[in-house]
Amino acid sequence: MPQRVTTARHALDRLGDAAASAGRPMTFMEVCGTHTMSAARCGLHSVMPATVTLLSGPGCPVCVTAQGDIDLIIEAAFVPGVTLCTYGDMLRVPGRRGSLERARSRGADVRIVYSAMDAVKMAQQLPGRQIVFAAVGFETTAPASAVSVTHARELGLTNFAALVSHKRVIPAMTGLLESGSVHVDGFLCPGHVSVIIGSEPYRPIVDMYGIPCVITGFEESHMALGLACLAEQVRDGAAELVNLYPEAVSSGGNQVAQQLMHQVFEPADMRWRGLGVIPRSGLALNQEHREFDAQLRLGLSAPEDREPRGCRCGDVITGGCVPPDCELFESVCTPILPIGPCMVSSEGSCQAWFKYKRLHVAPIAQMTPTEVTS
Amino acid sequence: MCLAVPAQLVQLNGSDGIADLHGNRVPVNTMLVPEAAIGDWILMHAGFAIQRLAFEAVQRTWAVLEDLDAAIVQSSSSECSSHDDQGGASCPNE
Repeated sequence: MPQRVTTARHALDRLGDAAASAGRPMTFMEVCGTHTMSAARCGLHSVMPATVTLLSGPGCPVCVTAQGDIDLIIEAAFVPGVTLCTYGDMLRVPGRRGSLERARSRGADVRIVYSAMDAVKMAQQLPGRQIVFAAVGFETTAPASAVSVTHARELGLTNFAALVSHKRVIPAMTGLLESGSVHVDGFLCPGHVSVIIGSEPYRPIVDMYGIPCVITGFEESHMALGLACLAEQVRDGAAELVNLYPEAVSSGGNQVAQQLMHQVFEPADMRWRGLGVIPRSGLALNQEHREFDAQLRLGLSAPEDREPRGCRCGDVITGGCVPPDCELFESVCTPILPIGPCMVSSEGSCQAWFKYKRLHVAPIAQMTPTEVTS
Repeated sequence: MCLAVPAQLVQLNGSDGIADLHGNRVPVNTMLVPEAAIGDWILMHAGFAIQRLAFEAVQRTWAVLEDLDAAIVQSSSSECSSHDDQGGASCPNE
C-alpha cells in the first residue's frame, strides 16, 4: 500500500516540478466521463499545482448526445407497441416531453438493459412488440450495438431495431481544436475507448495540431502520471503520443471489435451538444443494416435541438466553463432534479462537481483571461 | 457508460459466458475477444469482454479499489472520532 501512495505522490511531484519550471499556466483536457468522475472522487484537482487546469471535454456519452437525439429517443418510447430499451444512464435525461423515466410513469414501456444483447433477447421473448434499443455512446459501446444488430439479423428478428447515435472520439477532439473555442495544451485520452480504437488514431492530433496526447487508466496514480507526462512535454516544447495504459491498450486496438463496427456501421455526420454537427463524427447503420434503423421503421423525424433554457451543459463539455459558472448549478439543477445531462449522468461534470464539491477550483468567470486561455 | 471493470471468465459456452466480478457472477459475451478462455482475466464493458488482461494488471486495479474502500472506511471512522471529541454520538463500528 505505501508503494502505491508513493507512486501517486511521485507523479504529483513530477507534475509540480514540470509546472514550476515551465513558467506558464497549462490547461489539459480529459475526454472521458470515467476520468471526470475518477479525478473528482479522488480529489485530484485539489492536489494539482495552481498553474495546472484539468478541464472535462466531450467525453461523457450522455452529456454529448444532442438534445434533439434525446427527444427522438423519448418520442420513440411513446409510439404504441414500442418497448424502449436503454442503458440506465439515459433514463433521467430531460427532454422536451420529460425524461424516459417520466415517459415510463405515463405508461410508456421503457426498460433498462445491462447489455445490448438483453434487448435482442427481449425481442425474442416479446414477438408482439417492437423492441427499440437506444444505441448511444462512444467506440467502447458501439461494438456491442454492432453485435446486437448482427445477432438480430441471424435470428431473423423483425421486431428489433436501434436508434443509433454512436459517436467517435477523435473527430470530437479535432472538432474542438478546430472550433478554437478553448485552448488545450494536452489531452488525457480515454482509456476504454482506446482499448477498442488503439493508440494510433490519436497520432494526427499530435502531428497536425502539435498537442501532446497521453492515454491513461483510471486510478489516481495513473491520471496523475498522465498529467505529469503532459506537463513535462509542455515544459520541453514537445508533442508526443504516450500510452500509459499498455496493459489494456495496444497500438491497433481491438481488431475484432473494429471489424464488427465496420460491418454494421458507416461514418456519418453527427450533431453534438455544444459542438454542433461534426462531419463523419458519428456512426450510422450502413445500407446493408438499415432495415434495423428504428427512426426509419417508426417513421420518426429528428427533432430540432432545443437546449433547456439557461443550461450551459454545452459549454461545460467543451471547456467553455465549469459547472459553477452555470446559473442553474446547485440552485435549480441538482442530481435529484436535473435540468441538463451533465447533472444527470454519473459521469457528468456537473454531477461530479456537485457530489465531490470541487469548490476549491475557481469558476472560470472568476479567473483572469490569462489563466483561462494561456 | 464507458466504465469497464476486470473480471475472471469462469464459464463459457460458445460466446456466452459467466464472469466472476469480485465475487458476483454476471453474464458476459466474448464475441469481441474470441480467444478468451475459461480462467482468463478480461476487461468487461456493458456485458461484453473487450480485452484480455494480465493478472498483474487486474491485481493492481483491485488493490486500488480496496485501498479506496479502506480510505472511505477510515474517513468515516475519523468523522466519528471527531464527533466523539466534540461530545457527539459514538461510531457504531467502534
